Amino acid sequence: MKLLIVEDQPKTGHYLRQGLAEAGFTTELVADGTNGQHLALTGDYDLLILDVMLPGRDGWQILQAVRSAGLDIPVLFLTARDAVEDRVHGLELGADDYLVKPFAFSELLARVRSLLRRGGSTPQETTLQLADLRLDLIRRRVERDGQRIDLTAKEFSLLELLLRRQGEVLPKTLIASQVWDMNFDSDTNIIEVAIRRLRLKVDDNFPNKLIHTVRGMGYVLEERLP
Amino acid sequence: MIKRLSLASRLALLFAACTAMVSLVAGVLFNHASEAHFIELDQQQLDSKLMALRSTLQGVDSLETFAQREAQLRAELTRQPDLRLRISADGRRWLDDAPSVNLPTAPGLYSLQTADTDYRVYNAPLTPGQPGSPQLSLMLDITHHQHFLQRMQHLIWLTVGLSALATALLGAWAARSGLRPLRRMGEVAAGVSAHSLTQRLPQQHMPMELAELAQAFNAMLGRLDDAFQRLSAFSADIAHELRTPLSNLLTQTQVILTQPRPLEDYREALHSNLEELQWMAQLVNDMLYLAKADHGLLMPKREPLALADEAEALLEFFALLAEDAQVSLVREGSAHTAGDRGMLRRALSNLLDNALRFTPAGGEVRVSLSEHAKGVTLTVANTGDGIPAQLLPKLFNRFYRADPARYEGSSEHAGLGLAITQSIVRAHGGRIFCESEAGLTRFVIELPAGD
Repeated sequence: MKLLIVEDQPKTGHYLRQGLAEAGFTTELVADGTNGQHLALTGDYDLLILDVMLPGRDGWQILQAVRSAGLDIPVLFLTARDAVEDRVHGLELGADDYLVKPFAFSELLARVRSLLRRGGSTPQETTLQLADLRLDLIRRRVERDGQRIDLTAKEFSLLELLLRRQGEVLPKTLIASQVWDMNFDSDTNIIEVAIRRLRLKVDDNFPNKLIHTVRGMGYVLEERLP
Repeated sequence: MIKRLSLASRLALLFAACTAMVSLVAGVLFNHASEAHFIELDQQQLDSKLMALRSTLQGVDSLETFAQREAQLRAELTRQPDLRLRISADGRRWLDDAPSVNLPTAPGLYSLQTADTDYRVYNAPLTPGQPGSPQLSLMLDITHHQHFLQRMQHLIWLTVGLSALATALLGAWAARSGLRPLRRMGEVAAGVSAHSLTQRLPQQHMPMELAELAQAFNAMLGRLDDAFQRLSAFSADIAHELRTPLSNLLTQTQVILTQPRPLEDYREALHSNLEELQWMAQLVNDMLYLAKADHGLLMPKREPLALADEAEALLEFFALLAEDAQVSLVREGSAHTAGDRGMLRRALSNLLDNALRFTPAGGEVRVSLSEHAKGVTLTVANTGDGIPAQLLPKLFNRFYRADPARYEGSSEHAGLGLAITQSIVRAHGGRIFCESEAGLTRFVIELPAGD
């Protein structure tokens, strides 16, 4: 997966690049709009991450150039201007998503993965699995090590989300949005409670823990070998 | 021109005009009355003289008989120096004391003015009821009456003029001193600046008419002061809120970097920093949201919403938290409105979060919805210790925390939740308030009916 980052603030650009590279993406970083547009049109990228305020050509202009060239690459905007007209403007021009600074990197990573997944066709799975944990989507049953685990509807959705995106750190806001359809920054610790409940059923009776907390970032489902 | 006159001059002029008018009317009436009184006196006097003359001239019907009585008549007339007499019959004058004066011929009372004398003239026949009787014309000299009347008229004019002048001057003085509170008000208003918003007009010394104005003026100053205080407190609060996490970050990072440490320590420090930073990012985002609301940039969508469904979704979201806190969540009623789903969910979520935090174990949080002609009402009520009445108006202030001791842990939120809720409700054209009595606290959102 090849990503282009157009960001003029060196520190932000550097950390974005490092973070995304470590998450397994091939990234290229440009600091000005003119070069950014040139690369976006000629390079074969899977996703563009554009800052709005750029020297040379701004993010909107690059987006316009990309769309009028008939390229259907997903575009994620980073903006410090949290005005409604910005949002309307960006979405009219064909941006796929946007994040308002300051944002959490885990949030960015989650959005990037969502956008890349949207493009590719995912086969319709009937079961999701990690180690000895199995989730049957059709019969809505969960088993671990052959033992049936009873989950509430929300717990099932939460586990399904964690399994589908196993290995990814999922920020609390993303979990609230995907499982409960709550699309606002909530500073409650509901997600913590929900994860604690899920752990009680999925992890507590087993030596091999699968649900992990990444402090300050979110939660991840993965097998960590001792 | 009159529009530019000061209020005091205007009042003084009006006073003067009124006094002049009143004294003028009184003078004219008095003048008329005295004139009528003099005419009446003259009439009586002339009547008695006429009677005397008639008795003197009784039986006279020709010039010959008159000649016999003339001496007696003359003697009588000399005793009355203010009376002139003319007797005429068949166009001839038998007697004439004032031949140069032109007299009316018909019987009755007349006033007559000659070059140097004023007369009251009384024409009457010598023998009443007898045709062809000689005609008596009595002329009473009334010059001194007329002089008196003239003097009085002059006096009236003088009084009118002087009293008008006096009331104008007195009125100006009275108006100036009467309007002193107004000038004082002006002085206070002129002295108001951002630093002296605490100054107030002394309401108890104000006259009734101005008390209302003074009250309105003071209320305006109060509101300005309040808004200004809040604004300056807001920036102070922001600095204060950011100071704690910033000093944590600085101290921790500096301490960690002073000497080489095991990797795990660095990781731990970074995680701890991350928590502080996230809290700060959340604070900044919330403040941006509020700033947007302040600038009227919070533009809610107007999609039809079944509030019961929204409330249910939120109660489901909060169910785990409530279960943990051993608080029951209840919804009752339903309502429909047009609004922004995301924003209203956020508003309600803040209220629920708040309610859950202050409800003791075993308590209840109840969301009630109702719809009426004017709009919808959405109530979040929780059991538990009420909020003291004096704190109720402060609840929606930014950075306000009911319990100041609660803060100093960065996981605690910054006290912007209710302010954000209020902004959202206002952006929807509604209002929010809080009621509290012993054992029950109720937040009420009222949204107007959609178009």
